[in-house]
Amino acid sequence: MWCPDWPVVAWRRIDPGLAGRAVAVLEPAAGAPVVRAASTEARAEGVRAGLRRREAEARCPELVIVDADPLAEARTFEIVARAVESLAPRLELDRPGRLAFPTRGPSRYFGGDEALVHRVLAAVRSTGVDDVRVGVADGRFAAQLAARGPGPGATRVVSAGESAPFLGPWPVGALRLVGAAPSADTRGDEDALGALADLLVRLGLPTLAALSSLSEAAMAGRFGSVGRRAHRLARGLDEYPPALTVPPPDLVEIAELDPPATRLDVAAFAAKAMADRFTEALADRGLACTRVVVEAETEHGESLARCWRHDGALGATALAERVRWQLEGWLAAPAPGSDIVATLDPRAAQDAAAGAIEGTTGGITSLRLVPDAVVPATGRQLGFWGNDPAAADRAARALARVQGLLGPTAVATPVLQGGRSPAERVRWVPWGEPREPARADRGPGDRPAWPGRVPDPAPARVYEPPRPAELLDEAGRPVTVTGRGECAAPPAFVRSDVLPDGGGRVVAWAGPWPQDLRWWDRLTRRRHARWQVLTDRGTAALVVLDSGRAGVEAVYD
Amino acid sequence: MPAAERVLPLPGDLARAFSGGGVQRGSVVALDGDPGTGVTSVALRLAAATTEVGEWAAIVDLDGSIGGVAAAEAGVTLERLAMVRGVPGDRWASVVAALVDGCSLVVAEVPRRCRAGDARRLVARSRERGVVLVALGPWPADVTVGLRTTTSDWTGLEVGGGLLAERSVRVEVTEHGTTRSDVLAS
Repeated sequence: MWCPDWPVVAWRRIDPGLAGRAVAVLEPAAGAPVVRAASTEARAEGVRAGLRRREAEARCPELVIVDADPLAEARTFEIVARAVESLAPRLELDRPGRLAFPTRGPSRYFGGDEALVHRVLAAVRSTGVDDVRVGVADGRFAAQLAARGPGPGATRVVSAGESAPFLGPWPVGALRLVGAAPSADTRGDEDALGALADLLVRLGLPTLAALSSLSEAAMAGRFGSVGRRAHRLARGLDEYPPALTVPPPDLVEIAELDPPATRLDVAAFAAKAMADRFTEALADRGLACTRVVVEAETEHGESLARCWRHDGALGATALAERVRWQLEGWLAAPAPGSDIVATLDPRAAQDAAAGAIEGTTGGITSLRLVPDAVVPATGRQLGFWGNDPAAADRAARALARVQGLLGPTAVATPVLQGGRSPAERVRWVPWGEPREPARADRGPGDRPAWPGRVPDPAPARVYEPPRPAELLDEAGRPVTVTGRGECAAPPAFVRSDVLPDGGGRVVAWAGPWPQDLRWWDRLTRRRHARWQVLTDRGTAALVVLDSGRAGVEAVYD
Repeated sequence: MPAAERVLPLPGDLARAFSGGGVQRGSVVALDGDPGTGVTSVALRLAAATTEVGEWAAIVDLDGSIGGVAAAEAGVTLERLAMVRGVPGDRWASVVAALVDGCSLVVAEVPRRCRAGDARRLVARSRERGVVLVALGPWPADVTVGLRTTTSDWTGLEVGGGLLAERSVRVEVTEHGTTRSDVLAS
């Protein structure tokens, strides 16, 4: 079952004002944020996933852009999952917006696949989600493609044994769809399938039928484990051979929370440590987990379980993220047998994110991670951290704990990148994420690529946005800069709250350094002028004048 | 621990400011001064000395304004620098305590209303873990070394021209009850 563009659906439930408007959800990617999902209105204007923000805005000027909120997506999807769960047990959630379940039992009960599909449609629509598509086929990949019907409510049932012929005409690019929600430690895995798909097209294998006509041994021999996965998918089999390894029972990871966790961040933090131990125990046996059941129990004996699957092995971070999604989801959806009202009020969501678990009738007393399907780990090379591995572990744990307290983006590490102002030259990367600059610092041929950059030394305090300031001439009038980049009178006084004693007389200065940025684009064009100033107190600062307003951009502290 | 490892070595003129050529691990350095006098630069140089020997440094930056380029220029190995930005006041003490558990040097900007009890607990914790705690701002508890930047003297910038080039930072160092002045080039 698939709800296309779930991030948009989730946002519309939070903010009903977005209904009927062109909406795009941005996801922070390495480099500039890109569009992850777009509403049908936006798609009609040509907005596609993977576009950069400016490109998307250029195609559709009235586009409303919102940031991706995985927790809200998980929370709203939980309501849908509950509705489907009333029809079929053993749900497996891929990511918010997509779930799968075995149909054999439920189909018999409801009288055939078609009948089941229509019941699922009705159940999902009863939760207020209109755009839902259902596909039935042998194997998850085929079902996923079958669910990509032409419009809301589309269904497709591929009868048993017909999956391979059904898959045949699809282009190999469909392999890209296998990816689940991307996360830092699995992204490489999905890129591998995508890259392989590109290569296969160039090798003259445009369709899945062409791919499956090769022998599995040939694919495995030429492309390794990725090739084997692709070949299995193309034949309509599951990605990994089923029941390859029966999960050893002693790998179940249990955490008793005493006192019971009544705050989401406490539970999530416990989950992070559990996920680390869990993946470590698996790794000791040379295994990796592709499907995991997360179970939680509250003080009042309510038990909530959900199965999560992931294409490629679940890393500790991805696992902890899913536990968090699930706990977040339970806050909104009523627990079975309890009288809690579902709440999708954004303020409640913020409260929940900030702390108290509202809705469930008690604190969470225990969390269990049960491996449901495991595969041999293909190995992953850990980064080289430093001289003392124990110190590296200690630092990683401490910083993860702070991230648990304040949220992942609160702990950041600077990465230098290209840019003109001191603020532009740094990208703050959340701790643990790939350290990649958004813009190159050097141009082709290692030439400096940023003319007009503020010269070194770099200021130790950078204010973004600049703090309000006044830059005055001898007569007490604001200093202005003409269109030609000349100023009528030299600066004599600077005043701002960030300077000691509120600023003072300017004893030395350099500037103005005018800049006309993005002059080719009427909307984002910016003109400003900068000065380095030194006050009589010995404070050096970078003052910027932007559309007539002065500000202290940085202090050389 | 061997004697050499009990001291975090400092480079050049910073070593001169501290008796013993470095900072004792487990000690508390109170670093204070008006904005613009070079106080942040001194903090970054202490962080640089930590990453220089392959260890981790963390900075608690209350308003998220410490510059990353300046950190790199001060010599910090950025891979081993964690910047904790935007810490709410009620979580400040637990965040610093968590950082003290994992990093060799923690620079913590002290919020205006820092409780003396919290500060004392952090002093005890860093002494126990052998971590250098650099308190940036007024510190309401015990201090091993006090560093106060008074003024910065800049060269290079002129009236209507030139560029900021080099500076020297005047500091007052308080250690064992005596105060002396020193000048750091940075």
